[in-house]
Amino acid sequence: MTAETAEPSVKPGGPGPRALARRRRRASVARFWKEYRKHRAGVFGLAALVLFVLVALTAPLTVGSDVDSVTDAPGQPLESPSGRFPLGTDQFGRDLLGLLVWGSRVSLLVGLLAAALSVLIGALIGITAGHFRGWYATVMMRITDWFLVMPTLVLAIVLATVLSRSLGTIVLAIGVTTWPTTARLVRAQTLAVESRPYIERAKALGGGHWHIMSRHVLPNVMPLILAQTTLIISSAILAEATLAFLGLGDPMVVSWGGLLQDAREAGSVSAGDWWYLVPPGIGIAVVALAFTLCGRAMEAVLNPRLGVSR
Amino acid sequence: MNTKDQHDNGRTGHRPWRTRLLAAAGAGALLLASGTVAPSAASAAATKDGDGGDKVLTVAVAQSVDSLSPFLAVRLLSTSIHRLTYEYLTNYDAKDNHVIPGLATEWKSSPDKLTWTYTIRSDSTWSDGEQATAEDAAWTFNKMMTDQGAATANGSFVGNFAEVTAPSPTRLVIRLKKPQATMTALDVPIVPKHVWEKVDDFSEFNNDKDFPVVGNGPFVLTDYKPDSYVRLKANKDFWRGAPKFDELVFRYYKDQDAAVAALRKGEVSFVAGSPSLTPAQADSLKGQENIRVNDAPGRRFYALATNPGARAKDGTKFGDGDPSLLDQRVRHALFMAVDRKAIVDKVFRGHAVEGSGYVPPRFSSYFFEPSAGQKLAHDPAAAAKLLDEAGYRKNADGKRLGKDGKPLDYRVLCHATDPNDKAVGKYLQEWWGELGISVTLDCLDNVTDPWLAGKYDLAFDGWSVNPDPDFALSIHTCDALPATPKDTGGTDNFICDKQYDELYAQQLAEYDPGKRAEIVKRLQSRLYDTGYMNVMAYPNAVEAYRTDQIGSITTMPSAAGNIYGQDGYWSWWSAVPADSGDSSGSSSSTGTVIGIVAGVVVLVGLGVLFTVRRRATADDRE
Amino acid sequence: MSSAAGPASVSALGKRPAEAPRGRSRSGYPRYVAGKLAGAAVSLFAVLVTSFFLFRLIPGDPVKFMTGGRPVSAEQLATYREEFGLDLPLWQQFTDYCGKALSGDLGTSYQFHAPVVDKITEALPNTLLLTGTAFVLYTALGAFLGTRSAWRHGGLGDRLNTGLALTLYSIPSFWLGLLLIVVLSVGVDPVPGLFPTGGMESGREEGLAHVLDVAHHLVLPVVTLVAVEYGQTLLVTRSALLDEMGGDYLTTARAKGLRDDLVRRRHAVPNALLPTVTLVFVNLGRTVAGVVLVETVFSWPGLGGLFYQALSVPDLPLVQGLFFVFAAAVILMNTLADLLYPMLDPRVGR
Repeated sequence: MTAETAEPSVKPGGPGPRALARRRRRASVARFWKEYRKHRAGVFGLAALVLFVLVALTAPLTVGSDVDSVTDAPGQPLESPSGRFPLGTDQFGRDLLGLLVWGSRVSLLVGLLAAALSVLIGALIGITAGHFRGWYATVMMRITDWFLVMPTLVLAIVLATVLSRSLGTIVLAIGVTTWPTTARLVRAQTLAVESRPYIERAKALGGGHWHIMSRHVLPNVMPLILAQTTLIISSAILAEATLAFLGLGDPMVVSWGGLLQDAREAGSVSAGDWWYLVPPGIGIAVVALAFTLCGRAMEAVLNPRLGVSR
Repeated sequence: MNTKDQHDNGRTGHRPWRTRLLAAAGAGALLLASGTVAPSAASAAATKDGDGGDKVLTVAVAQSVDSLSPFLAVRLLSTSIHRLTYEYLTNYDAKDNHVIPGLATEWKSSPDKLTWTYTIRSDSTWSDGEQATAEDAAWTFNKMMTDQGAATANGSFVGNFAEVTAPSPTRLVIRLKKPQATMTALDVPIVPKHVWEKVDDFSEFNNDKDFPVVGNGPFVLTDYKPDSYVRLKANKDFWRGAPKFDELVFRYYKDQDAAVAALRKGEVSFVAGSPSLTPAQADSLKGQENIRVNDAPGRRFYALATNPGARAKDGTKFGDGDPSLLDQRVRHALFMAVDRKAIVDKVFRGHAVEGSGYVPPRFSSYFFEPSAGQKLAHDPAAAAKLLDEAGYRKNADGKRLGKDGKPLDYRVLCHATDPNDKAVGKYLQEWWGELGISVTLDCLDNVTDPWLAGKYDLAFDGWSVNPDPDFALSIHTCDALPATPKDTGGTDNFICDKQYDELYAQQLAEYDPGKRAEIVKRLQSRLYDTGYMNVMAYPNAVEAYRTDQIGSITTMPSAAGNIYGQDGYWSWWSAVPADSGDSSGSSSSTGTVIGIVAGVVVLVGLGVLFTVRRRATADDRE
Repeated sequence: MSSAAGPASVSALGKRPAEAPRGRSRSGYPRYVAGKLAGAAVSLFAVLVTSFFLFRLIPGDPVKFMTGGRPVSAEQLATYREEFGLDLPLWQQFTDYCGKALSGDLGTSYQFHAPVVDKITEALPNTLLLTGTAFVLYTALGAFLGTRSAWRHGGLGDRLNTGLALTLYSIPSFWLGLLLIVVLSVGVDPVPGLFPTGGMESGREEGLAHVLDVAHHLVLPVVTLVAVEYGQTLLVTRSALLDEMGGDYLTTARAKGLRDDLVRRRHAVPNALLPTVTLVFVNLGRTVAGVVLVETVFSWPGLGGLFYQALSVPDLPLVQGLFFVFAAAVILMNTLADLLYPMLDPRVGR
């Protein structure tokens, strides 16, 4: 099944030396990359991601942290694009290109953290519910099912309202509402892994719960978790934009969703100030798309039977 | 199994993608068709409808109706509708806000100032034909005094009433517990007793089931659909004269940009904005043909309130305002670091007036300006010096320390729904940052809870001031403090100042307008000096209307005033339809009909064509 | 909105039906139905519990919100509390709430002074009109394009098709809505403003004109919803078909000399319907809940707009009621999908 294609080298119960294992992992990563490269969309997504991450990381050097200062705003309010301001200015006269670059940091950071939180919860519940059967699994899966029927956006809005307005709140709101799909997938995979004979052997040899879960199950579900993370980052970035747009973000922090919210509040939709409105949306869409493409390519490599993105 | 080969076979299929592109193009044409016809007739909003030839005035509003019951409604839209549908005892002159007759033609107070007698006009009839009498007024007030459900919205007006009677159909007598200068400013809709006495539960009756609603104002409420529209018909028998438009429709646009776009296209005749159009919207509308932007002095003030230490009348202190703000020098220093001119120029982009006294300059008789020596002018250096003097010095990191040795960090309470709060908050953060004070902006959809609990350091504050400023002044008296921390007081932000209270009591008992105005100015001077309420600006009322639909309309005050949310029904009552507007005879609906029918025809045609082709090829092949 | 659920669910939902009903189906359909219905009832109850307790977390005293900061004495506040049952212990409030909910009473809205059920039934038809129309269109479009795409899998058409679907799927719906308003409502030269900027009706037409007026208002919100939603249906249909087309029986069918078109219509599509149907139902539930954004952008007088208004007060009874309705929609649709599933799957005997 899935994981076997990715890491066929993990032999049942073999407690081989670490170095060997490392070499095997490296080989499988190389093999993974070779397969991944065949998916053009995935490569494109990855390239876009690398570009955006580079832009975000170098932002302190390229635009500087005072790009969001209102008192030292360089331009006039709502200037249309010009040589000096390639994307025009916002209602305070700040450079929108600079804000866009600066905002990418928050959008990416929130996306990554929220996805990490979501996948962490999902993987934890998925693996444990797959490993410990019985009442524990039943309860956990009931909770998962129940979260699955909760309207995600509505729940996230409620959480963001209940807690104070900050980036942490947004991360939390997205994280705790998007994990159930991961939990389900991971649990199914865990069940599949644990039904293999070598797990029986490992148990017979005295492997404890922790040993089985961390040494056998986790490496096997890891590829799935990675693919899932990539996909969830994409939705987390959209969710961040959505919440910020609904005015639930931290108003003092520049993010893409926040820029859109500012643009709308300033009345730029009816004033036709497209330069204020269009770029943040494109930013969100491109990054979300890039993560989706990567995620799908990974999924396709790991599970060719799915036939998703060829 | 090798799935790949089979998939590749699929590629040899015979129906090329082009067909579908054609279909897509057809769908595109449909969209175009359905649309292009519609806007050609778009400017019909205020003009003759195909059938009745009625002149309709459509107003875009951003607020939804909370209730149509005058006993429950508190939102501006709802109270404006009540102004239009029910007469109040008195009204305010459109020119200069002085009190003029409404349902009452004249009024006088007894020598002991405790009994007021109103003469009720005999030429006002309810829309069901009954005469409006003093009995209706007495019943309305008595209901509010006795039924808590009926006191929900306007209960505060009758708090000081001892007894209300109607000795004759034209005479209303109100006895007070103590003198009250605002007896000619009772903004309470008078409802018909014969209709309302059938209501059992005033706390749940919303007056929105039986249309038309019986009223006696210039318009009659004829239809209402939540979050869509409120429709009113002109009252041809209105005693002051019938309105010029036949119908008035308030259309709900949650999104202000949508409302502005609707104005541009002529779907609506007027847009007010909530609370006003943004500078970008106003600027983009200014150059437009047939659109006039009304940029008038507003009746609101926009202030920065400090928490003076929340407390109740019983002396209990509560809340957690920063103790440093109890020092007047700190409050002054903070305000001196605020560049009010920059706020007017950058945030309001000129659509506001720099703040000084408490009452906006529009109410000229009460307007107060601080003297040169008193004025807290923008001076960051002096502000820093003042803070040093007060003992709040900077540490090595450039942060000012409080008396507890921790850096000062003020929480500023802001309304998440008000872009101005957030924008000014950004400036404050930087200005006060220079002083060495950090700012945390605490933006909430509803600030009521921390506000009432005194859990803030500073807050954005603003009130619409009535022609009679009494209410806006009363909210800063000690008397308005909550009795205990468990009560809710009328207080705005827990100000309690002895000197202020003495002046307040004086003005309330002063029945001479000139003298009263003088006291009110001294009152504002005192408030200014305390530094508890720092008025940054008076935002303009920025609104816009179509001149090809509205020929003329009365602003209030008439020289330069607002149109929406007046203290009276002048704007909509006086609005005259434009002559030029009804150039296109058909209403927009005709265009829509044609467009959609055309679209459906195209779509069905394409569908048929597609299916036929498909069948044909299938038959050929088999 | 799916923007919050995200493209992750493309794969997750696509796989979902594979596990659920097949295992239990041996015990017979009636028992299966009973089980599913019981599960739905438990879920509904869980939602009721959540909606009750979750919103108690919103800081603040509802009575003080209700009185809007007007001067009220402690006694009056107490009277209000008593009137709304807020003076009772939490568990008792909860049992009261459940009891009333069973008889169809969800309390009285603080801000509208009207029964919550009335407010919801007022707005529900509008939301259903919007989501229903969009749902039919995006399902049809997604299924149609998905089938095409799978069949011509790997070709240029397929690549363009999936590419476009994925791109639209990654676009924030509110942003797309705003752009549509700018271009097609406000009008950017030379495009004139073609559609109304918001709302559901102009409020003056009657009869047929009124219907057409509503249709005219419906276009942009529906286009927005369809654009961001159809991708998911497309992708799931496509991958389900691809899975199916690996089946030996298709090779047999082709070997018999059946034309591609027929193979597709008679064999592959019916089988691939399964995951799609599940997705379709789950989607419908989610769309009702996710319409908040589009309703906000287009001033549509539906549940989403109401929810947002209620939350900002916060109007607890109304928020609770709406939350319950949103979640119930998802549960209802999931259950329907579960019930339909065995009927559609020829491999699951009855």
